[in-house]
Amino acid sequence: MRRNAVIALGALSLILCINVTSASPASNDAEKFIRAIGNKTLSSLKEKGISEQERVKRFKELLEEAFDLPRIARFTLGRYWRVATNKEKEEFVELFKKFVIQAYANRFQELSGRSFSVIKARGISTTQALVMTEILVPQKPAIRVNWRVRSKNHVHKITDVVVEGISMSVTQRDEFVSVIRQRGGKVEGLIRALRKKTTSN
Amino acid sequence: MTVLSKSKNRISGTLAFVACTALILAGCATAPPADDKVAMAAFKEANDPYEPFNRAMFDFNLALDKAVLRPAASIYRDVLPEPVQNGVHNFLHNLRSPIIFGNDLLQGELDRAGSTLARFAINSTVGIFGLYDFAAYVGIEKHNEDFGQTLAVWEVEQGPYLVLPIFGPSNPRDGVGRVADILIDPLTWLTPFEFQMARTIGTAVNARARNFDQVNDLENNSLDFYSAVRSLYRQKRADEIRNGVPLNTNAVTGNLPAMPDGKSEHSQAVTSQNGK
Repeated sequence: MRRNAVIALGALSLILCINVTSASPASNDAEKFIRAIGNKTLSSLKEKGISEQERVKRFKELLEEAFDLPRIARFTLGRYWRVATNKEKEEFVELFKKFVIQAYANRFQELSGRSFSVIKARGISTTQALVMTEILVPQKPAIRVNWRVRSKNHVHKITDVVVEGISMSVTQRDEFVSVIRQRGGKVEGLIRALRKKTTSN
Repeated sequence: MTVLSKSKNRISGTLAFVACTALILAGCATAPPADDKVAMAAFKEANDPYEPFNRAMFDFNLALDKAVLRPAASIYRDVLPEPVQNGVHNFLHNLRSPIIFGNDLLQGELDRAGSTLARFAINSTVGIFGLYDFAAYVGIEKHNEDFGQTLAVWEVEQGPYLVLPIFGPSNPRDGVGRVADILIDPLTWLTPFEFQMARTIGTAVNARARNFDQVNDLENNSLDFYSAVRSLYRQKRADEIRNGVPLNTNAVTGNLPAMPDGKSEHSQAVTSQNGK
């Protein structure tokens, strides 16, 4: 009996080993994660008879679930993250979330009626993977969209979306840094501009 | 030919004017004090020493867009059915084949040169003067090249950001590339001036119509449209130069360190080759 248990354990560990070594697990999991999020997004958009308010609410939930917004926020502040005060950082991250929801809610709607396919995924560091996909639009060339996914303790979060070679995070960072520069190098200047932008519409 | 050379003179005259104005205004772009390291680094990364001039040109182009190009593109989108718009797009792209082919060769990309040649032969005939992209249908996908990209492959630096009147975002490398493409294009020498005007206008309207919603969306959702466009232009060009291949490392375009990846790795983060 005991011997059987040992053999079983050995077999089990062998299986586990094979599982671990046969492919890069990080990029595999990241790929699965993107597939799941993509399907969830598209099926949520397919549902009919939902109010505009409900759609925005769902987008918000999906965004918070799938994206590492605090990390992206920190990245978009560039070098100025280090010189910002704690209070500024806190308010900036909150405003950034609002800003992203406002800016991307419409773009989210445009995904309606489209489909996507995962091309491949590959690890780009010990914790990050790049998942390459194509969004298929009827009668138009497919759109290349790459997702940067960070995985830690089996929790996956998107940290960047690269559409046709254009990184959303980098674009946002370049813009924010420019706004700060325009306002005499004050992070407070950007915060004020974001406050105005997120309350105006 | 005289009309042609006249228009060429006008173009070079405009370029000279732009260059002069840029030089005069160069003094206006104030670098931050050298002791402010963060501001100095941000200034260098922007690589935009003529920013005041560029912003003025950007505003001028934007006004022109609102007055002329945007309304034209809007009508074009609303009036013509989508298959016709796609036909125009394909036709214009097919006309660029000699330029693409030439630049494929100059970059030593023989496979891509072959596919450009095959596409041109198939689409000009079976595709009825390029209206249909039949080559893509049989699996020969399209791609784009220009002399600005060729210069980048030859490791010529892009130089500072430059907004040209009418032509929009550019840099010295792409500006030279633009002129070179006109010169190496056999259609420049073989077709009448009217045809080239129509082609230029068609190209502008087609491009604006195809990006209609995206451009408007970006304008509405940006805090500083100018710097958003500057960033997009550079990233787009870097992507085109890499022929769409994603960056191999954990790096992102620009000079800043890559996306923070935990404390330990952050310190050894790689910086990219600055979108060459």
